Amino acid sequence: MVDAPVISTRGLTKSYGPTLALQSLDLQVDRGEVFGYLGPNGAGKTTTLRLLVGLLRPTSGTAQVLGLDAWSQSVEVHRRVGYLSGEPGLYPRLTGLQHASYLARLRGTRDTAPAQALARRFDLDLGRPAQDLSKGNRQKLALVLALMSRPELLVLDEPTGGLDPLAQQAFYDIVREHTTTGGTVLLSSHVLSEVQRVADRVGVLREGALVAVERLDTLRGRSLHHVRVAFSDSVDAREFLGITGVRDLVVSDHTVACSAPEVAIDAIVKAAARHTVVDFECAEADLEETFLAYYGQEAPGVR
Amino acid sequence: MFGDVLVKTLRDQKRSLLGWVVAIVLVVLMYAAIWPSIRDQPSLNDFLDQMPEAFRSLFATSGADMSTPAGYLQIELMSFMGPILVLLYTVTQGTGAVAGEEDRHTLDLLLTNPVSRTQVVLEKAAALVVGTVLIAAVTGVSLLFFGRLFDMSLPPGMVAAAMLHLALLGLVFGSMALAIGAVTGRPALARGIPAFVAVVAYLVNGLGPMVSWLEPLQRYSPFYQYVAHDPLRHGVSWPSVLVAVATVVVLLAVAVWGFRRRDVRG
Repeated sequence: MVDAPVISTRGLTKSYGPTLALQSLDLQVDRGEVFGYLGPNGAGKTTTLRLLVGLLRPTSGTAQVLGLDAWSQSVEVHRRVGYLSGEPGLYPRLTGLQHASYLARLRGTRDTAPAQALARRFDLDLGRPAQDLSKGNRQKLALVLALMSRPELLVLDEPTGGLDPLAQQAFYDIVREHTTTGGTVLLSSHVLSEVQRVADRVGVLREGALVAVERLDTLRGRSLHHVRVAFSDSVDAREFLGITGVRDLVVSDHTVACSAPEVAIDAIVKAAARHTVVDFECAEADLEETFLAYYGQEAPGVR
Repeated sequence: MFGDVLVKTLRDQKRSLLGWVVAIVLVVLMYAAIWPSIRDQPSLNDFLDQMPEAFRSLFATSGADMSTPAGYLQIELMSFMGPILVLLYTVTQGTGAVAGEEDRHTLDLLLTNPVSRTQVVLEKAAALVVGTVLIAAVTGVSLLFFGRLFDMSLPPGMVAAAMLHLALLGLVFGSMALAIGAVTGRPALARGIPAFVAVVAYLVNGLGPMVSWLEPLQRYSPFYQYVAHDPLRHGVSWPSVLVAVATVVVLLAVAVWGFRRRDVRG
């Protein structure tokens, strides 16, 4: 059985007056997938997510969530989707448990046990009013509220922002459990490192346009290595320039330094072997750097 | 389920409603307590008669007789203090209903649950009605209770009629705040516009009888529907009730229509 995509947008566009926030987005996320939605602040991530949960009305194009129109059938969509706002608001005087009980009722149940179980995993006290919680704990509570109805799809705007490492770990565990039971997750972040542990695919958004969608495996395969070779004689830059994949080449007198994907290492070694090599270093760059190298200047990572 | 947002909204107001109730009881007690001394000073009526007509018309509702309990309350409570208190409550709650939640970002939390925007507006409006009716009822009961205590006898039917009109006046401006908040999402507008309109409507009703170009506008003022027929003496004016209810219905329809088609700010 081939499942219909959980999220499918066609030409999804949103402008605020003259400002184009999202430009003709075609995005598809399949069942069981964790999709990391990346881009610098202001790139249109939040706009996309809010369009998907029907808080914003598309200027043109359509967004389908679980086969339903995100705007006109939003009530039905909400029944099956858990959403975490990028700027989660809570009722200052209500305790965590009161929040859970109110939202559970809106979803037609009085059962707050799932919320309590989640709170235990995040080590969060549900008995305190929201106004007395720290920023990190408010984020935990907002997450608990988004997750507690065990929805088919989670749409999470910067879920790990402000979470301590333990809570982040708990969050990643929960995301994995969610997908193994057939759930789907779309989560946004401005840094790859926050999503690389859980995402199957990542999409990169820049200035309202989706500039790349990549499987994380593929990205890892293209992961850059920093290569530095020292020679006993001076060498000619041209010998290395021709190698496919080599970037950031710096040749200074007796040394050659560059970044290159795994597939180019062999050619580099062979080119170097024509000279007398004094020293050879090769170290894998982290994924973030690979990512930045491919997807550009002001892209993710700039906090 | 229908009712959850309503109950939650009222529960959030628990403290504030309690404050309102205490304040109203004290205000009414104060007015009732000074009634005996007012009654024994018939010169007050002469004083009123000597005031400029415009002034008298604005603050005293023309034709009220200060030496009767109904006239006294008309002048002291119903023409100014009562509407101000009730409007403060309804405009505040109307503003908080949608624009306030949006401003505090809790609207995201609410609307991404399986509740329609129509339902949210209607439940918030229902909460506003319940709160306003409660405040009007407390005012009415205190009037009757303290009236008896201080020998200020008032016919319960007339008090009930006056409170009905007072509640409707509050609901007109409360629904206006709710509608502006639902359409624009901006608390400042939701609070400011009804406050401004209320002042204008108050002046139009008060000055209408004296300023010829205002006179045709007078009967469109919600204050005219509220007090022109002097409910403490003449009871319910059903046409006025109808106009007020229709205004509220239209404003709520605008709220639903506007809220259903706009973006919710993040």
